[in-house]
Amino acid sequence: MKLAINEIAKYLDLPVNTVERWIRQGKIPVHRDGPDCIFKKSILKKWAVSRNLSFTLPKNSETKHPGIEMENLLPAIKRGGLIHNTKGDSVNAVLKAAVDKIGMLSADAKKELYERLLERERLTSTGIGNGVAIPHPRTQLPEVKENASITTCFLEEPVDFSAVDDKPVFVMFILLSPSVKIHLRLLSRLAFCLRDESFVKFLRTTPDTDAFFERIAAFEKQIDKTDAL
Amino acid sequence: MHSLKSWRYPAKWILFRTDDRLLLIFIAVIVGICSSLAAILLNRSLIAILSWLHPFRQIWWAFVLPGIGAAMSSLFLEKIVNEGAGHGVPEVVYSVSRYGGLMRFRSSFSRLISSCLTIGSGGSAGPEAPVVMSGAAIGSNIAKFFSLNDRQRVALVGCGAAAAISSIFNAPIAGMIFSMEVILGEWSSAYLIPIAIASVAGTEVSRILQGNQIVFSHRHFDIDLMNIVVCLGLAIITAAASILLTRMIKYMNGKYGKAPVPLWMRAALGGCTVGLIGLFFPVVLGEGYNSIHMMIEGVFAQGFIIVVLAAFLKILATSLTLGSGGSGGIFAPCLVIGSFTGLAYHRGLVLLWPSVSWVNEGCFALLGMAGLISGMLQAPMTAIFLIVEITGGYEVILPLIIVSTISTTFCRYIESASFYLKDLTEKGHLLRPRTDARVLTELNVRELLETDCIGVKQNMLLRDFINIVKKSHRNYFPVEDEKTGHFLGMIYLDDIRPYLFNPGMYDAVLLGQIMDINVQTVALDDDLTEILDIMDINHLYSMPVVADNKFAGMISKATLLNQYRKELMVQAND
Repeated sequence: MKLAINEIAKYLDLPVNTVERWIRQGKIPVHRDGPDCIFKKSILKKWAVSRNLSFTLPKNSETKHPGIEMENLLPAIKRGGLIHNTKGDSVNAVLKAAVDKIGMLSADAKKELYERLLERERLTSTGIGNGVAIPHPRTQLPEVKENASITTCFLEEPVDFSAVDDKPVFVMFILLSPSVKIHLRLLSRLAFCLRDESFVKFLRTTPDTDAFFERIAAFEKQIDKTDAL
Repeated sequence: MHSLKSWRYPAKWILFRTDDRLLLIFIAVIVGICSSLAAILLNRSLIAILSWLHPFRQIWWAFVLPGIGAAMSSLFLEKIVNEGAGHGVPEVVYSVSRYGGLMRFRSSFSRLISSCLTIGSGGSAGPEAPVVMSGAAIGSNIAKFFSLNDRQRVALVGCGAAAAISSIFNAPIAGMIFSMEVILGEWSSAYLIPIAIASVAGTEVSRILQGNQIVFSHRHFDIDLMNIVVCLGLAIITAAASILLTRMIKYMNGKYGKAPVPLWMRAALGGCTVGLIGLFFPVVLGEGYNSIHMMIEGVFAQGFIIVVLAAFLKILATSLTLGSGGSGGIFAPCLVIGSFTGLAYHRGLVLLWPSVSWVNEGCFALLGMAGLISGMLQAPMTAIFLIVEITGGYEVILPLIIVSTISTTFCRYIESASFYLKDLTEKGHLLRPRTDARVLTELNVRELLETDCIGVKQNMLLRDFINIVKKSHRNYFPVEDEKTGHFLGMIYLDDIRPYLFNPGMYDAVLLGQIMDINVQTVALDDDLTEILDIMDINHLYSMPVVADNKFAGMISKATLLNQYRKELMVQAND
């Protein structure tokens, strides 16, 4: 086989300098031929194994992991959808009503989610102040495998969530994510939006779906820009 | 055109590409022949010079001859080939462990000429070490000619050394073992096979040209238990003699090193002194193989006192010759001193217990040689096989083993390293395979560089810096000058953590104010051993690497351990 030296170094997970030196010293069964390196795949593999190194050639059919980094706020919110006029006069009641309306879950999953949400609420309230709550299960639901979702629920009547500032909650974002990493990323992005007073005011007007998405998209652009700094 | 050129790159032939063992065997034969020819050349020219100078020996001013020879040899080494004095074995060992056996072409003949001048004129030194150096250089240069890699080159250097010893003593096994035990310092089949082949080739060439003769043939010895027991005493005495010789050479080296005269004058002075001793005791002159012959044959007539005196004078003459800058090895002087010591021991035994029937004194001369060689070289295997082969006497093997091993043990108590490796050990240049020092020298800073640090500017506000902290997965941030890009200092997250959570500081603090400017930095070419020492003293786990005033990356113990282990694994499985 013929490969460039930096490719060999990559597949062996070693610095290029080291591979160069090993070839010069004759420690590795690879021959230099100008810029290329000639070797026999089976021998190099055997050599690598006997020395606790790994030699893995890239496979053509390598599937890229669904980008964990790429999970953004807007798609998650679109996936979760908006629920208007959620009824209920207590935390349990609004959560029950909201969970029932989440579309993509099976009945069993809904029951489990509801229990987990209550469990999380018992720990500490997810009311983060300013009339906003972000209920979420403490551990990931088995049914949420790939895509995270945020379901935005506007309550018919503000409900006392025993939030940090004791203000009654008028909007909930139910956050479901497949992994802690995504959970934290979405939570941090959502918190960034909610820090903005005007956005909370905008939420109080119970906006329609398109206006809401537009607003979120604008925020997301801003976040990406500061992150790129 | 390509096919015409390819004969110089045999490593690229399909036949040898995957496994170079056959290739090494082929080239080992070439190296063995060339190295053996060099050894024979030196041997022949020594004989020629000795016989040419023989008539002059009777004249009273003959004592200046060794002086002239030593001065010429020193001038030749210093002015013409520009190489250091000494016997050359440490240079070979160092080159093997540090530079993959890379040696200069001129080394393949320089020591031959200089030692020929020194020994031929009467200086007390041996031709073996120079031949070893030439053989090794021949091996190295043949490897270079065929563009072989370091490992193969080291094998061929070993081949050259083995063939040289094999050829000069007609002793193939001793050559192999010398090469593995002293030159390479490791026993692996990858090296053993080409070296064995080279030894065979070298010995055969020598047998064709010189005839198959055992260097020191002797009569039959009858060795009983009593003789084996008294060997213990001989071992201790030979150990003492070898320590005396080592110390004397070092002492003379120090004395002459301080003399405020040019190198060749020092050598001339030393040579003349040897010549003076030689006027009264001609046995100390030259390599001294003749006197060994006489002693083993049992025809060396002089009494106890004279023999003891001769042993001491030979030690003195050798240290004068080598210490003053003459060129040659200690192998032959060791053999001479050893046989004097053995003989003296035997005479002493006879004086003390005249009624016991001791074995022939030649046997003790033999054992003395083994004791001295193993004491000086701290290489018992080489001594045992060398003596067995050069005397053709397997019946002495039992006392031989005892004397060699005990002598080595005693010498090691007092001298931590052998004569050949002493200087290297003192300078920290002895890098045997699979040792910590070797692994650390093979690795270099460039291979360990971590370049995932994000550089910041000195006039950046803390507020902007926080965004950078968000993205970085390191705790270290190099601060660079805006214009020149020069490295100014480091920011350690640990140091500035309190400010990070104080928004009041965000716009008030510039990075230039909070960076650490007294950072220990390393350069790209720094020695890893030293870097680790600095880390240990200052309790650091990582340090910035600065090249041309610019930040190049970080070096950390974690990465070092990772690479260190890989390097060790690769070396271990050679």
